[in-house]
Amino acid sequence: MINHILFTLPIATIVIGALVLMLLSYSRKFTMQRLNILAVFFLLISLAFQLINIGEHSSTFLFPDIFGDSFILDDFASIFDLMFTVGAILTLLINNDYFKSRRYFSGEYFALILFSVFGMMMLSHAHELVTAFIALEIASLSIYALVGYHKNNRVSSEAMMKYMVLGSMTGAFFILGTALIYGAVGSTSLTEIALYVVNNDLQEMTLLIVGSSFIMITIMFKIGAVPFHSWVVDVYHGAPYPITMFMASTFKIAIFAIALRLYLVNFATINVFWAEMLQVITILTLIGGSWMAINQKLVKRMLAGSSIVHSGYLLIGISSLGLGSDVAAPAIMFYLIAYFLSAVGSFGILSFIASQSKTQMTYSDFKGFAQKRPYMAIMMSIFMLSLAGFPSTIGFLGKFYIFTSAIESGQILLAGLGILTAFISVYYYFKLIAFMYFYPSDTPQKKFPIDISTIVIAMMALLVIWGGIGTSLIPFIPSPDAFIDIARQSIGSLK
Amino acid sequence: MIDNILSHIIFLPLLTALLLGLFRAKITYLKIGAMFSSVATLLLVIWTAYHFDPDGGMQFVKHSPWIQNTGMSYFIGVDYLSLVILLLISLLMPPLYIYMYHEKRKGYWYNMMLLQTGVTGAVLSLDLVLFYLFWETMLLPIFIMIGKYGNGLHQYNSMKIILMTIMGSMSMLFSIMYIGYVYFDTVGIWSFALTDLSTLTFNIKTSIWLTAGFLLAFAIKIPLVGFHTWMAPAYGSSPTPAVVIMSAIMAKLGIYGIWRFGFALFDTVLVYYAPTIIMLALIGLLYYAIRAITEDNLRKMFAYSSGSHLSLIALGLFLTNIYAWSGSLYLIATHALATTGIFIMIGLTYKRFRTVQISALGGIASKAPKFTFFFTFFALSIAGLPGTGGFVAELLIIIGAFKANFWIGVLTATTMLSAMLYIFWMLQRTLFGKANNDSDYEDLSLREVVMLLPLVILLLVTGIMPSLFTPIFEPQLTASLQEIINVIGGLK
Repeated sequence: MINHILFTLPIATIVIGALVLMLLSYSRKFTMQRLNILAVFFLLISLAFQLINIGEHSSTFLFPDIFGDSFILDDFASIFDLMFTVGAILTLLINNDYFKSRRYFSGEYFALILFSVFGMMMLSHAHELVTAFIALEIASLSIYALVGYHKNNRVSSEAMMKYMVLGSMTGAFFILGTALIYGAVGSTSLTEIALYVVNNDLQEMTLLIVGSSFIMITIMFKIGAVPFHSWVVDVYHGAPYPITMFMASTFKIAIFAIALRLYLVNFATINVFWAEMLQVITILTLIGGSWMAINQKLVKRMLAGSSIVHSGYLLIGISSLGLGSDVAAPAIMFYLIAYFLSAVGSFGILSFIASQSKTQMTYSDFKGFAQKRPYMAIMMSIFMLSLAGFPSTIGFLGKFYIFTSAIESGQILLAGLGILTAFISVYYYFKLIAFMYFYPSDTPQKKFPIDISTIVIAMMALLVIWGGIGTSLIPFIPSPDAFIDIARQSIGSLK
Repeated sequence: MIDNILSHIIFLPLLTALLLGLFRAKITYLKIGAMFSSVATLLLVIWTAYHFDPDGGMQFVKHSPWIQNTGMSYFIGVDYLSLVILLLISLLMPPLYIYMYHEKRKGYWYNMMLLQTGVTGAVLSLDLVLFYLFWETMLLPIFIMIGKYGNGLHQYNSMKIILMTIMGSMSMLFSIMYIGYVYFDTVGIWSFALTDLSTLTFNIKTSIWLTAGFLLAFAIKIPLVGFHTWMAPAYGSSPTPAVVIMSAIMAKLGIYGIWRFGFALFDTVLVYYAPTIIMLALIGLLYYAIRAITEDNLRKMFAYSSGSHLSLIALGLFLTNIYAWSGSLYLIATHALATTGIFIMIGLTYKRFRTVQISALGGIASKAPKFTFFFTFFALSIAGLPGTGGFVAELLIIIGAFKANFWIGVLTATTMLSAMLYIFWMLQRTLFGKANNDSDYEDLSLREVVMLLPLVILLLVTGIMPSLFTPIFEPQLTASLQEIINVIGGLK
């Protein structure tokens, strides 16, 4: 029992922190600055507990006498928890300047971020469909509120409405799918479902397949796969920069947590059934996402469109997983880490610039940026290169693994298409580099401001480079190898 | 130190650049640092060449794990082929830095140092992923230099070159991943080291596709005719140091790639592609020559001339006999020297007259004799003037061509004459005749003579005493050629 309390401490800290922050946000004594520090403090405590817990135990169910097997604790969930917490910390730290520059932020913001982190953590621990649904909705509801945070801004409110209406509707699909699965299996526990799947023939499982396809619709919607993508660009555009960053990096990873758990454990024996469907969706996502990204004027919208393409790469990984590739699961995890680092960095720089000015940030607003802010420009270029999958960055290795997994599972054409979209992505990422470097600036060079935001962004940039070229020869510093080992271990804990 | 000499050669410029960047060095220190790194690299390379054993195959090998999970390794080494290009790179850098003496924009210097690391790394890597890494990263400085410091439609052209070359390298990446997977499938572990992968045998259909992936990357880089649309605009609008590296080194890396990776991995399939490439090369010889004759912009004209010579090198490579191969290797070296000279001269022309249009120039000879001498010398050594290295190389390739097939020989020989045509006509219009402008210009300064003199001497030495250099590469060249001929013979 004591053990279990220790295991739940990371999640508990987050929830307590969220409640405390919510209460404190009414007090006038607590400025945004202090609340930010407090939020980061809670997240750090949770992070510390997670680090103590990690790797210490095999998979166990939490409080089995109360919750049955609804909650599971394994390395897989712990790694995802770690990423969510780090993602939230980075979001809060990097956007420190942004909070100061925008008046519409108030104390609830931090509570909402923590609540959504709580939801995501529950999601990664969920071992039962209804629990997963509740967790998903906790996270989503917080995100809906955050997207519409700039109340007086039409674009922001529009984004919130769009996201909430569509998101709730697809959320309903999840619950419908759960109901159908319950009808077939008689339980919503993943253990029972897995047993059922193993013991029955494919022909007898129509209800289960229909039900899980509905669940897949929800997942596809949340990661923005084409044809469920129509909200992505508008919502990413409408949301304030910190939220866009949080959604693109952290929230997307959370969805993959549940998707991976379902596909690796739950439906492992029947995911051949979805192979073709997934391939079609992957192809559509890659092409559609490139199409969305290639003709955007705003950099934020371009990144939003390109995040669809990155979902497409991850889907390549998932569909290779279904076809029995061994390297696919670690590849997906690695790609998530890689995308997480680069997305956090690039959105962080955007939000940093946004905190200094009020422009919309089209491509041409970046003219002369390299002359004005040389260090920022270098870091932005590094993130762009990583997103484009240019070698010597972590993004390259991520793509490398994903494509090799596709080749390994025999989906050569899919790998070819992935390469093609990666080539297309070079165009829209390099366009930004071109705008930054190829035009003179009319304002003189500004000093590199050394504060918490910029330092964190610089660390991200270094990590991105190190993740691409780092060797395991230097002890104590994790290299790409270490990332892969972590990914392997976490996947291994699932089975 | 001696153990890792190649690593030092690769990373010295990069480290210098990083150090200088970290301390935000003033431009004076930047110049000194860059010059120091290039001279130090040159000395290291000369040391390597001195201790290089012509009969030894791959030498100074360093093979250590890099990313073990997927078998990528840090695998470098030097043999006769890479030594030639390595020597060229390190020889060309100091004159280029002397050329850039008055350059005050820091980015220029940083990019040049990064570029040196990129091209050197690409030449020395023996692991496919490592090679791909350097192959791509050497593009970045070029991209920035053309886009930032170029002229004309430089932003557009810079985007064009990066997109076209990355298209090629992406197809190569696909092939690399597939080969890696096949190795994993047959052996059970991942590896991308060339020595491991060359033991593989593929079924013929797969390997035709895989070879196509590699060849596309190399053909765009060379560029063979049909893949050349980026070349003239990019050369035309790029600054002189970038254009020198592109034409003298990077284009040769396309040839090098075929030579090193193509023949090691797919020797049998390259035979399948040989007729196509020989034809493309022959068309290229003629096409580029015609474009060069009609071109009015000096930079673009020598871009086409460079394309023509690279087609010749590719031709020699695919003729697979000893004359053609030695000729190709020799031409790689001499053309790099000559093209460096001529593009530096064009850069100096631009500095003096603010134009590189032939129609706007003229009458230089009467006012600037030294300038005229060097310009003429480099132009003629490009055309293959007897006494310069280019003549020896071209003669060897033509002999090889005749040996392979009479008509290929005839075509090669005749198209070679067209080079004489455009060079002489260009010289007449540019240097002689009436002066089109009254601009006041000076002759070459001492600094400029000093930077050009080594190139002249090298070109003369390679031309007059080829026997000084042939022992370096002859034994291994013959050996590896024999291997390939055996394979081809086995096919017949």
